Amino acid sequence: MTEPNAPATFQLPEQMSTVAADVDWLYYFIYWLSVVLFVGIVGAMLYFAWKYRERPGHKAMPTGHNLPLEIGWTVAPIFVLVFLFHKGFEGYMDMTVPPANAMEIKVNSKQWGWEFVYPNGGTDNELHVPVHKPVKLVISSSDVLHSFFVPALRVKRDVVPGMYTTQWFEATHVGQDDVMCAEYCGGRSKDSSGNGLPFIQQTGHWSMHSMLHVETDEDFTKYLIGIGDPCASYTVKGQTCPDSVLVAQGKKIYEKKACQGCHTNTGAKLVGPSWKGIWGKTESTDHGMIKVDEAYVRKSILTPQADIVTGFPPTMPSFSGQISEAEIDEVIAYIKSLKE
Amino acid sequence: MAAIDIPVTGSHAEDAHGDPHANYLKATHGIRSWLLTIDHKRIGLMYLTMVSLAFLVGGIFALLVRIELFSRGQTIIDGETYNRFFTLHGAVMVFLFIIPSVPAALGNFFLPIMIGAKDVAFPKINLLSFYIYIAGVIILLSSIIMGAVDTGWTFYTPYSLQTSNSVISMTLGVFVLGFSSILTGLNFLVTVHTMRAPGVTWTRMPLFVWGMYATSLIQVLATPVLAITLLLLAGERFFGIGIFDPKLGGDPVLFQHFFWFYSHPAVYIMIVPGMAINSELIATFSRRAIFGYFAVAMSSIGLAILGFLVWGHHLFVAGMSEFATMLFSALTFLVAIPSGVKVFNWTATMYKGSIVWASPMLYAMGFIFLFSIGGLTGLFLGTLSVDVHLTDTYFVVAHFHYVMMGGTVIAFLGGLLYWWPKMTGKMHDERKAKIGFWFVFIGFNTVFIPQFIMGSRGMPRRYYDYLPQFEPFHKASTIGSWILAVGLFLTAYTLLEALWKGKKAPRNPWGSAGYEWMTDTPPCVANFHSTPVITRGPYDYHLATPEELSTGWDEVEGDKPATKKKD
Repeated sequence: MTEPNAPATFQLPEQMSTVAADVDWLYYFIYWLSVVLFVGIVGAMLYFAWKYRERPGHKAMPTGHNLPLEIGWTVAPIFVLVFLFHKGFEGYMDMTVPPANAMEIKVNSKQWGWEFVYPNGGTDNELHVPVHKPVKLVISSSDVLHSFFVPALRVKRDVVPGMYTTQWFEATHVGQDDVMCAEYCGGRSKDSSGNGLPFIQQTGHWSMHSMLHVETDEDFTKYLIGIGDPCASYTVKGQTCPDSVLVAQGKKIYEKKACQGCHTNTGAKLVGPSWKGIWGKTESTDHGMIKVDEAYVRKSILTPQADIVTGFPPTMPSFSGQISEAEIDEVIAYIKSLKE
Repeated sequence: MAAIDIPVTGSHAEDAHGDPHANYLKATHGIRSWLLTIDHKRIGLMYLTMVSLAFLVGGIFALLVRIELFSRGQTIIDGETYNRFFTLHGAVMVFLFIIPSVPAALGNFFLPIMIGAKDVAFPKINLLSFYIYIAGVIILLSSIIMGAVDTGWTFYTPYSLQTSNSVISMTLGVFVLGFSSILTGLNFLVTVHTMRAPGVTWTRMPLFVWGMYATSLIQVLATPVLAITLLLLAGERFFGIGIFDPKLGGDPVLFQHFFWFYSHPAVYIMIVPGMAINSELIATFSRRAIFGYFAVAMSSIGLAILGFLVWGHHLFVAGMSEFATMLFSALTFLVAIPSGVKVFNWTATMYKGSIVWASPMLYAMGFIFLFSIGGLTGLFLGTLSVDVHLTDTYFVVAHFHYVMMGGTVIAFLGGLLYWWPKMTGKMHDERKAKIGFWFVFIGFNTVFIPQFIMGSRGMPRRYYDYLPQFEPFHKASTIGSWILAVGLFLTAYTLLEALWKGKKAPRNPWGSAGYEWMTDTPPCVANFHSTPVITRGPYDYHLATPEELSTGWDEVEGDKPATKKKD
């Protein structure tokens, strides 16, 4: 057995979950078994090829029969195969059946990003989990197939639109690893008018990357509080949420939902108009002059192709179904705060 | 080998191909005599030309994909183009090259000769199947003009329902190609059952023919399932039936079941012919009968049957039930047994043989080397808990390339070099062929060994861009692809050069006891001057006469020695 939490070896990455050590033990068992068989077969082949090479005076001996040998190498592998099947299935069940007390985190995937929804309703595009606590992921997709893959956890689970798949794990030490998509899900390297995008703006299967952060209990609790909706504590008491909280939340959404990929908050022009100083301005669009107010911002988030500001391509995807009304209010508060 | 004098008359051979005793390449002339031929040998050569071109096209896409991955970021192409290129690489290699490669090219040429028949059972259907193949190629490649497909060769739903419409022309092409495959399979099955010459009993049938027989069984039984699946896919796109699309209540995983129900057996359509060639090469160049002939023959049939029962191992993490997962894992391990039997028997055949280090034998030993790696890495993927980590990574990419390319393509090249003298009447330059082998062998391993390592370290498949820790492995892999390309071009040159510079080949240049070497080089239109009567097995070196095994020139056949310039 390898030590739990072993660092990366030449062939396998670092171990960060309770199942990793078992998987790796079996991996290396098969590896050395293969090495022995391979050296045996190829060694015998090369030895025969040299020893019995064609030369004057040497003649091939007619092939005889050796039934025990033939039966032997047909039957003997079965024992090894049954052992491998058994160990593999055992390990598979360990990683498939979650403990009853596992904390549930919902994973939403789409082309091309991840969203993690925590038990307190907070969302993030990176996965934070407490160390030594079983975590159960309930995974869904809103478009095509994806696959949730974290090498250090040794887990992978396909995401199928129209159904939930689950995956559980328990992290064994504090650290980080990559979250990747392992099921091909397409890609885009042109904007909607067919112009090529620079490499940095091309998105696809390969860019569907996030991070796993395994944290101590205290850090994780702090994190949970941080991502929870701070307005909730006001609204449950029937109070209105203070503007400062709304703006801070709006800024978070701006970063989390990747608005900043196309809209700057500095006045610089990217694929879309900058949010700096846009509030209250009257913009020329393909449907005439429109004032940037609550109604226009809301419409632009949910049906972005409705009114396109002149000089910008109609490339923004709709966020309908991916953003709540409360979150739209927070974004509006943030845009308002970005006055000249 | 004895022969009774049954004159070859009254057959199509006489009317369509001129003199049945003439060299098949020269019996008739003109482009029509080729395009409308019903001679299985000419059809085999036309297939060979087409699959070679397909291999070239698929190979160019592979090289472009490798160059793009040489460094991080954008190297030569953008992300969408990359997705199209790897899709085309896969689709062209699988559907246009590997599936028809050995059966349609070498099988068509040698299956009838190796059972002492004049032709296949249905020569006109054979020609029809060639033109269906051409039609499939045109339809499939028309997708490139229509905007190209970016779904991967697996066409997984629902992505394939949303992306560009050219996915329809590609699946339609595959649909049409399936008919070509079915007709060839059917033709071979009937030929083997009904047209064996007197004395070619089932236990005297060459192992190449056994392999073709097993392959044909799979082609006939599995291909219709692919056809139905692709029709359903087209129906789903046009009419929104709701079978695969979750938005309409369909199940995307069902598509994967249907797809792999064909495509896993198709893996055996690809590898069993390679194994079949290898059995011939090992026997000839060991000067010895295949050890455990019966076991090797039956293991082909065993693989054909088992191939139908293991499709689910492509879906271990796809959202299939734990029970089904367990069952498919158990069944998958069974595949190791017939595969192991073959490898063990080939190695045992070399024991106390007389090993000739000719270029086809280098390929045969290369096959054992590479296929062993391909097979043993299959153990990792059959083992459930390990597969969860490795599936959909470069480990899988490396694994199936070791089987498909390290197995089938290596055997195909070995078979081409081996039978080239018989097919063309010309000897190739052995020195160049051997140098070509070493480039191919070293290049191939340089491409794919780094892919095993980055895969087990967690590099997913089908990525346009990757994390920095994988860059050295990608660089090594890309450099390997150039070495491999040099080897392949050199081998192609060696074969083509033989056509105009090669010495005239004698009847049996390798000194084989196989039946196909008993007839003229190149064979006459009717394959044999009179129906052969077989009195020994194709590997019975101890029963073959010295004349049969002679690598020189037959006086009686009237062949001219090489020094006299003909043509």
